[in-house]
Amino acid sequence: MKKVLQITLGIVTSVGGFLEIGSVTTAAQAGASFGYKLLWAILLGTICLIFLVEMSGRLAAVSKHTVVEAMRGRFGFPFFFVVLIGIVLVAFLVLVAELGGIGLSLQILTGIGFPWWAVPVSFAVWILMWKGTFSLIENGASMLGLVTISFVVAAVKLHPDWGGAAHGLVPSFPADQKAKYWFVAVSILGASISPYLMYFYSSGAIEDEWDETYVPINRVIATFGMSLGGFLSMAVLIVAALVFHPKGIDIQKFEQASLLLTPALPKWGFFLFATSMLFACLGAALEISLAIAYFFAQGFGWNWSEDLTPSRDARFCFTYTIIIMLAAVPLLFGVDPIKVTIISMALTSATLPLAIVPFLFLMNDPIYLGEHRNGWVSNTVVAIIVLISFVLAVISIPLEIMGG
Amino acid sequence: MNLVRDVLDKELLDYEEEPMGRVDGLVMHVGKSSQPRITHIEVGGAAPWGRVHPAFARLAKRLALVWGPRRREQVRIPWSRVKAVGRDIKLDVEAKDTGAIDWEIWIARHIIERIPGSGSEEADDGY
Amino acid sequence: MRLKGFLVISVLGIAACKSPTPAEQMDSIQSWLATAEMVGDGWLRHSTPDKYSRQTLELSHETLLQISSDLLKAPPHSVDSASLDSVLTRSRGEVAQMARLIEAKDAPEFGRRLDSLRADQKVVKQLSDSIESRQ
Repeated sequence: MKKVLQITLGIVTSVGGFLEIGSVTTAAQAGASFGYKLLWAILLGTICLIFLVEMSGRLAAVSKHTVVEAMRGRFGFPFFFVVLIGIVLVAFLVLVAELGGIGLSLQILTGIGFPWWAVPVSFAVWILMWKGTFSLIENGASMLGLVTISFVVAAVKLHPDWGGAAHGLVPSFPADQKAKYWFVAVSILGASISPYLMYFYSSGAIEDEWDETYVPINRVIATFGMSLGGFLSMAVLIVAALVFHPKGIDIQKFEQASLLLTPALPKWGFFLFATSMLFACLGAALEISLAIAYFFAQGFGWNWSEDLTPSRDARFCFTYTIIIMLAAVPLLFGVDPIKVTIISMALTSATLPLAIVPFLFLMNDPIYLGEHRNGWVSNTVVAIIVLISFVLAVISIPLEIMGG
Repeated sequence: MNLVRDVLDKELLDYEEEPMGRVDGLVMHVGKSSQPRITHIEVGGAAPWGRVHPAFARLAKRLALVWGPRRREQVRIPWSRVKAVGRDIKLDVEAKDTGAIDWEIWIARHIIERIPGSGSEEADDGY
Repeated sequence: MRLKGFLVISVLGIAACKSPTPAEQMDSIQSWLATAEMVGDGWLRHSTPDKYSRQTLELSHETLLQISSDLLKAPPHSVDSASLDSVLTRSRGEVAQMARLIEAKDAPEFGRRLDSLRADQKVVKQLSDSIESRQ
């Protein structure tokens, strides 16, 4: 029974980590500008993520070590340091975007501008981390995140052309706006395959005290949870394709995206969008703050657990306190969270090899995984993901300049 | 035992299995007549940074004198205190006696415990 | 050789980013007019709250002002810039007026403004199509 309940780890990881300001913005942009054509990018991102998350969970369950611990142990401090710089910088930008997403949701609900929300929102996130336990964050965020099912309801109510949508699952080459098309595709992949998700998930498996008996259930959780996230993102894209594409609205501001649900759900759509974004971004903000603190603590060998009182893991708590405080600063100065989101999604793509290449080696290491090492299927998939990640890394920055 | 693969960068646990850092460096004694042997494990301080670049090590040393517990010498744990080498390195020392968690204690005392709700009031298992 | 091509594309990209083409500017104008229309429609149906609707109409107005002043600095040759200017000015006026009418809670007048905004949208679309077809 406890293992069944553990599915919440998958749900929170997907709702908080998959569906957040990045995936909603990029999916809405894709639908608004290109109709169903970019659905394949979400599908591809989801498949990659299912494999990566399953592996990070398996590594933690079998070796009792998180991805970061194993990476430092296997590849040494200098390598860890390079990954730390790359991943933490990008994750920090994503955190700014998520806190901004909470602020923007509150802005459209109250009319009070998002810079005013920067401090209260950061404080609220910090308090939840300071006083909350891992299971509170895990279960709370996944329960609240279920509001995002309203995207699916809206998609069904608008009676999309399912055949056309199915066509979008196959990659196609656009006739015009090529740079923008590929830029949005890369951003979607960056929003889907977020490295912090793997760090969060594998730490979560340790927090929830998984052991080898969790290997099968981990497979179910990763597949089910990440598919749910991908499914919700696809719903956002489909609704945007039906609502914004015919009108020629190109999503550049949160205020435009806020109209996503009103045609399908005139009475509640607006509030459902605002609360969905509020909860999804809150879940993601908690997850990223924790992931950054886990990264430092595990790499340097500090005490860490969201379940310990702060005085028992001082450096861990100190790290997330500082990170959350710093993340509020750009928002206070009115830096547009949507711009931060778009930049950080492209940068995530640029840093993907740093996060994924070590995986290929760790998952084949008998010291960590014994008989649960990757089989040839998983290895082939990771090799393909590594290949994709290199392509993304090379093209993301020039595309950012051309398409953004 | 393969020093780099099995020891370097592995997690250190004290006698209560509490984490106390990672193996950031190893010290080897090379005598004139005896075989070279590992004498100490280095933890924290400038040790890991020197492996990235000597400039980082100098910076780490300088910063350590400006702020924090202001420890001058590198924390070294004698190899004789190693109990077991597996996925982690188990030691028969108490973490706080070695100086390896000076920073943890310093941040707990000076920052974390001054914030309400840090749990330092109710718990006597804190430092 | 590849690196060179890559750099050329990047530099061109930066240049293209700094100055969007008239066709792209017309697309942006249409996008923001459509945003204003959608918000207006939503407000009339009580789907969007007053404050959000007003602020978003104001944001549309500001953005439209910005893009159209950039566009008219170097107007496309293929269209009559006087008629382009007049329809853009008029539609911006409607958007600004709609934002004010929300405060006055004057739904009937708001509806009339929304209708004329829709008429202007069609004119802008025609002008935009003529720019794109001549390129």
